[in-house]
Amino acid sequence: MKRAAVMLKMIVCMKQVPMVSDLPWDPVTGTLTRDVAEGMMNPACKHALEAALVLKERHGGHITAMTMGPPMAEEILREAIALGADRCLMVSDQKMAGADTLVTSFTLARAIEIFCPDFDLILCGCHTSDSETAQVGPQLSEELRIPSIAAVEGLDLCGNAMRIKRVSDNFLETLEMDLPGLVTVATGFYVPRYASMSGLHDAFREPGILTVGARDLGLDDDDVGLQGSATRIMDIFSPVAKKENIVLKGAPKKIVEELLDRFDDTIGSLIRKDLKAVK
Amino acid sequence: MEFDACMKHKLVRKSVREFAETELGPIAHEIDQEARFPIEVVEKMGPLNFFGLQVPKEYGGAGIDSISYAIVIEEISRVSGSLGLCLTVHNSVGISPILKYGTPKQKERFVTRLASGECIGAFCLTEANAGSDAGGVETHAVFTGGQYVINGTKIFVTNGGVCSLPLIFAITDPQANPGRNASVFIMEKDMPGFAVGEIEDLCGMRANPVSSLFFEDCRVGPENLLGREGDGLKIGLDALDTGRIGIGAQAVGIAQAAYEASVKYSRERQQFKKPISSFQSIQNMLADMATEIDAARLLVYRASARKDSGRPFGKEASMAKLYASATASRVTGKAVQIHGGYGYSKEYDVERYFRDAKVTEIYEGTSEIQRMVISRAILAEPV
Repeated sequence: MKRAAVMLKMIVCMKQVPMVSDLPWDPVTGTLTRDVAEGMMNPACKHALEAALVLKERHGGHITAMTMGPPMAEEILREAIALGADRCLMVSDQKMAGADTLVTSFTLARAIEIFCPDFDLILCGCHTSDSETAQVGPQLSEELRIPSIAAVEGLDLCGNAMRIKRVSDNFLETLEMDLPGLVTVATGFYVPRYASMSGLHDAFREPGILTVGARDLGLDDDDVGLQGSATRIMDIFSPVAKKENIVLKGAPKKIVEELLDRFDDTIGSLIRKDLKAVK
Repeated sequence: MEFDACMKHKLVRKSVREFAETELGPIAHEIDQEARFPIEVVEKMGPLNFFGLQVPKEYGGAGIDSISYAIVIEEISRVSGSLGLCLTVHNSVGISPILKYGTPKQKERFVTRLASGECIGAFCLTEANAGSDAGGVETHAVFTGGQYVINGTKIFVTNGGVCSLPLIFAITDPQANPGRNASVFIMEKDMPGFAVGEIEDLCGMRANPVSSLFFEDCRVGPENLLGREGDGLKIGLDALDTGRIGIGAQAVGIAQAAYEASVKYSRERQQFKKPISSFQSIQNMLADMATEIDAARLLVYRASARKDSGRPFGKEASMAKLYASATASRVTGKAVQIHGGYGYSKEYDVERYFRDAKVTEIYEGTSEIQRMVISRAILAEPV
């Protein structure tokens, strides 16, 4: 096996998301009530970890699994250890609750600068299943002033850079990115492995894991959490699918005209034609 | 006293459930119908240490605690009772006696192959005239020319069709008293005189190749004798204590699957323009099912915790097995009842759960034997 001259130092940022499909949320703050739902590692983060594990197997390396979240999020870091990560870092503080994506990226960046400053590559999931913003990864790269490529399908070390494959529309792009850099990993290529029983056993050998709060990062209350957030959720609701049956009656010509009048936008977008222009 | 699962046990459950639902879920119905051992899934389980759950790391196992062990068996059995059976028999009565009574050489030679999943284990006590009465064993081993010559037939061997390192009970000293006349041997499938019988056509657990094993002038050296000559009964009873935790966990898993299917179905099935879950008769059944499963699970975990703490756990394991197996039968029966005609159809999984549950009251000590073990332990306690 060919090994890289330098051992890759990787950070996988991951998030615990609620397992249930009907997310419990706080109607006052408009944020998710995470402590009542059973948590799991965000599926896309599993793909990011798998990408890191493949790189480590191929070239050697060291993986730090990192999360920001409530104490119960420790579970996904233990899971990451069971799957093959070497070390974990937990960013957790009551004051960090309700953080938007911008302040989350800001907080993660400060933790990385202090606790793992010599990283080569940061891997994030391409989006989370609970909020679907896909913002934290790219924002984190801005905070750290490093290059980033989002939604990658495959990546490998090529000299001192990363060679990256990304599907864009109907094209497969091959890109090269200097290190240190950041990627967000899509869910189409890597198949996350299962935790072995031995890995699960080992993941709980160490009683505690490194947990840091706002003060450890030199941050004030105003810098983190809901207080530090630039955005507020104004409203959150479950989308309701509405079904309606409409019966058009009359002569065929009249029916078609009425159909086009009512649904020209919908039909047009399906067949990729501007039906208003046709009419 | 802590009743909530710790983070480790929660994660073990989630991880095994993910594996079972993804890899085994789509074929669980089919392997039962076709009575097929799912070797393609078993091959994936080896590298994940499912076949060396409590084997120390030095022999290639995972070294997990007994509650984690029970959770693994429960979660696999929740999806496929047959594979849960394969795992628990292999890990408990198939391996644990070698770990406890084997020499370092035997552990190196046999346990490593079992723990990797390269070889599947089995435990052969039952014969045509022996089962609950271990004293009725007729298979015998005669020591001659530096080797034991073994002759006999074992029946209803779980994993029989796929095992390659089964443990067998044989009489080594017919003159000795019943507690000291039997010994345990580690057999190897490629030995001359070792043959596998037809796969049994059973009511449930159909994806497990239960069969007879025949031994005709099978010659094994003293290096295949487990413990000392005459230790057979002690080794067997020890192994069964451990095995009963596994069967209890298996019964809980089957009952859990039947319960979950019943809750889902009762919410969907409409009668009299209402979901049947709105009727008190159904609610009463669901309440009883949930309560009994909870109680059974706690009994299984208590026996496991006692085992891990190094305290005697035979009585507790028997109580767990007795109650959990009866629970599995009752709960799966109610699940069929809730599903009505559909529950009696092979198209629905509850029919499989119903068939699989029954045997948990029979193997690794019938319910009647469990009551005997429990009552003996109770009556031996100081007044």
